Amino acid sequence: MKISRRDFLKGSATTLFLAGFNLPALAAASKKKNLVVIMLRGGMDGLCAVPVIGDKNFEKRRKNILIENTIKLNSDFALHPRLKGFNECWKENTGSIIHATSIPYTQRSHFEGQNLMETGGRVAYQEKTGWVGRAMKLAKLQGDGLALSLPMPLLLRGVPKNNNYFPASGSLPRKETLDLLRSVYAESSEDELLEMMDFIKKRKDEQMMSGTTGHGKRKNKNLAKQAAVYLRKADGPRVAVFEVNGFDTHAAQGGVDGTHTKCLVEMDDIIKNLKENLKEAYNDTIILTVTEFGRTIKQNGGNGTEHGYGTAIFMAGGLLKKSQVYTDWPGLKRKEMHEGRDLNATIDARSVYASAMSSVFDLDFKRIQKDVFWGEDLQNLSDKLFKV
Amino acid sequence: MKNFFRKVAFGLKPEEKAPSDPLTWAQKQVETIPELNWKGKYIYSEKEMRKYWITQRVEENTTLRKKYKNDPKGLEIAERQLENDTGGKFWQNNEISIRHAEGVRSNNPVLAKLWYFWGNHFTISETQRLHQYSTGAYQREFIRANMDKTFETMVYEATVAWPMMMHLDNKDNIGPKSKSGKEEWRRREKEPATLNENHARELMELHTISPEGGYTQEDVQELAKIMTGWRPKWTKKKDHGHDVSFDSEIHEPGKKRVLGKDYKRGKEGIKLAIKDLVNHPSCREFIATKLCTYLITDKPTKEMITPIIKAWEQFDGHLPEVHKAAIKVAFEYNDKYEKFQNPENWWLQTINMSGATYAYPIPEKKIDKFELGYLVSQELREPDWLLESIGYHPYRSKQPNGYSDLSNDWMSTELIIRRLMYAKKAFHKYKIKDQIDDTIHEKIIRTNFDNPDKILKIVSRAKSNEEKHMILFNLPEVLRA
Repeated sequence: MKISRRDFLKGSATTLFLAGFNLPALAAASKKKNLVVIMLRGGMDGLCAVPVIGDKNFEKRRKNILIENTIKLNSDFALHPRLKGFNECWKENTGSIIHATSIPYTQRSHFEGQNLMETGGRVAYQEKTGWVGRAMKLAKLQGDGLALSLPMPLLLRGVPKNNNYFPASGSLPRKETLDLLRSVYAESSEDELLEMMDFIKKRKDEQMMSGTTGHGKRKNKNLAKQAAVYLRKADGPRVAVFEVNGFDTHAAQGGVDGTHTKCLVEMDDIIKNLKENLKEAYNDTIILTVTEFGRTIKQNGGNGTEHGYGTAIFMAGGLLKKSQVYTDWPGLKRKEMHEGRDLNATIDARSVYASAMSSVFDLDFKRIQKDVFWGEDLQNLSDKLFKV
Repeated sequence: MKNFFRKVAFGLKPEEKAPSDPLTWAQKQVETIPELNWKGKYIYSEKEMRKYWITQRVEENTTLRKKYKNDPKGLEIAERQLENDTGGKFWQNNEISIRHAEGVRSNNPVLAKLWYFWGNHFTISETQRLHQYSTGAYQREFIRANMDKTFETMVYEATVAWPMMMHLDNKDNIGPKSKSGKEEWRRREKEPATLNENHARELMELHTISPEGGYTQEDVQELAKIMTGWRPKWTKKKDHGHDVSFDSEIHEPGKKRVLGKDYKRGKEGIKLAIKDLVNHPSCREFIATKLCTYLITDKPTKEMITPIIKAWEQFDGHLPEVHKAAIKVAFEYNDKYEKFQNPENWWLQTINMSGATYAYPIPEKKIDKFELGYLVSQELREPDWLLESIGYHPYRSKQPNGYSDLSNDWMSTELIIRRLMYAKKAFHKYKIKDQIDDTIHEKIIRTNFDNPDKILKIVSRAKSNEEKHMILFNLPEVLRA
């Protein structure tokens, strides 16, 4: 490993003077901009997805689960070879990695961690709304959220009228049935039910899960295709939220064909299918990932990894400034690690999320910092990561 | 007025005669805890269920991981067989059937509806596979069985129950100054003894006084100290599903101060702390508000809550009296307020109002034929699948605060589509003779509504009996009660 922490700090200093400039009101966007959040549940291993190059400490600790034939991203980091969708973004200058980052949570419980990755808070279960929901409320984006899961994820809570898509089996009721119910809701002034019914009426039967092939429709890659169709529309949602489960690989994490890879590929398929189906709307989109924590650097006796701390964030979309691995690399020597075992986190993941939302919702970063993240000490990374 | 039978229970069956004194009818149901309606052979205790849980956990976490460490595919297959052997996909379906039989087959549906309330109040969320093996039994044994006792008893039993201790990590709550905390090996192996505040916080926040109780982070830590020592007995540093007991070697010494009161070291601390928490004014107010939110409205008024608090004070938190007071308030406000029903209660109401010839829940004789080791059939897996689909699986809540009681949280496109789909599914649970009975909807409506003609008129616009079912069970009058 050639790079040290200092080099990165130097590299980013030049843009600092821009901060504080043009703060109070950002110009209203003329174009619809989209945010897609992929929640990676179970603890995504940032070092499996984006390994460091040439670090003996790392290779020694992971002998049996080291990923081979990786794709070189720059002189210091490589990409898991199965992440082909993301690699396409990278090559087109619309894919970025934030490395050595995490939400500020170090207790290693999935449970608390996932709650905090969605609420954006510091105390588990204290907040009942999500950081995306709160920011949408701030941006007055009612009815613009789409959850590709059931029920409504905590992440989106805090703003009413979010839509969701996670097809049920069977076919939709006949149009006449829906019309009849709609008229009943209208007569009895059931405004919310009426709105739901309008969403449902736009639903097509082929979007439901039916027949023997239908189960595939709840697969993330197919949900991504459907979400892209919605997001592309001018009057469609502006925020979509996905979930990928199963990153908790205490055993048989494996190398390039292992269980962790399978989950990463599921994530990659979402990115790939969104990109392909968003078409030109991809240019006005930010896709990003969240996870509760990373995994231990050292493999365990079962060729798996334990719960760790620092991890990576994947980002893709045309609103990204450029392809880059943005990091303040802490190093992997024992004393550089968190509690002597985990990759440290030198960037608060919430700084990335707040910056992304500032860009995509046209909100002042400081307002997001204050109203969404309780004025916590976050860094404005907008000009480093996104097109301003 | 007929609305009341849906508010506190699941409505009336088409042929059922409305009780002449609804309030007494409802209140009588919560006085005692009758035997379960379910007559199947698989009603195992929480302790018995732990055996299956242990086998699953030990095998998957140690044996299989070692055996298949370089063979992810082999691991997957072996894991699937292990799950069949331990009934990992079976028990929940069995438990849901037991649970739902109380709602739609028993003589005490009001008690059942309140049982569901308390199960959700003391949520065991989906973690460590507890939902697959333990949560159903836990809700029978520590929640339902305590509904004729005081709230204090229920809190204590729910707190020291094995599944709750596992769920909220009190097993990892170890006094730093305890005997075990000071042992040399902890320094050597870098495993310092630390408090785990999770359970202590939830005991206050979710189970008793709520944040309104005004506790501080320090109070949480002090309560956590009181709770140190309570955990399943460990052997060889592994959790093997042993009973919860008090281990003084990991108990934090010294006195602790919670909400201004001191507690001495020792086993009795937790009991005394719970006694004080349940007698805190915020606790009564919190529970009374929650009960009104569940039964009456998203925004209960002070006038609704007050009589419940009074009953609580008069009868020292004796739950049958608290329940009776809540039922009375629901009765008094019956015509003024309607409550959007959560998905599970909506489903049971649909089933119950449709009639008794229903094939739901799956009959005992079918479930009893199942043998461990075999794949669970699609039919037997339906309850699990159904509840997951409608967005309310009582054992698979994502968080320890359980499911919301607010209509906002059930108003989502996908969840409303589910109600349309499942109303249709419900129709197909009829025997053919009921499916073609053109009077069935009129019977349902006349039995269950004060304004049958208005509803009949709307429903009659539907083209088929199936469509009538979908319309009827999605009318605002039915979604709310």
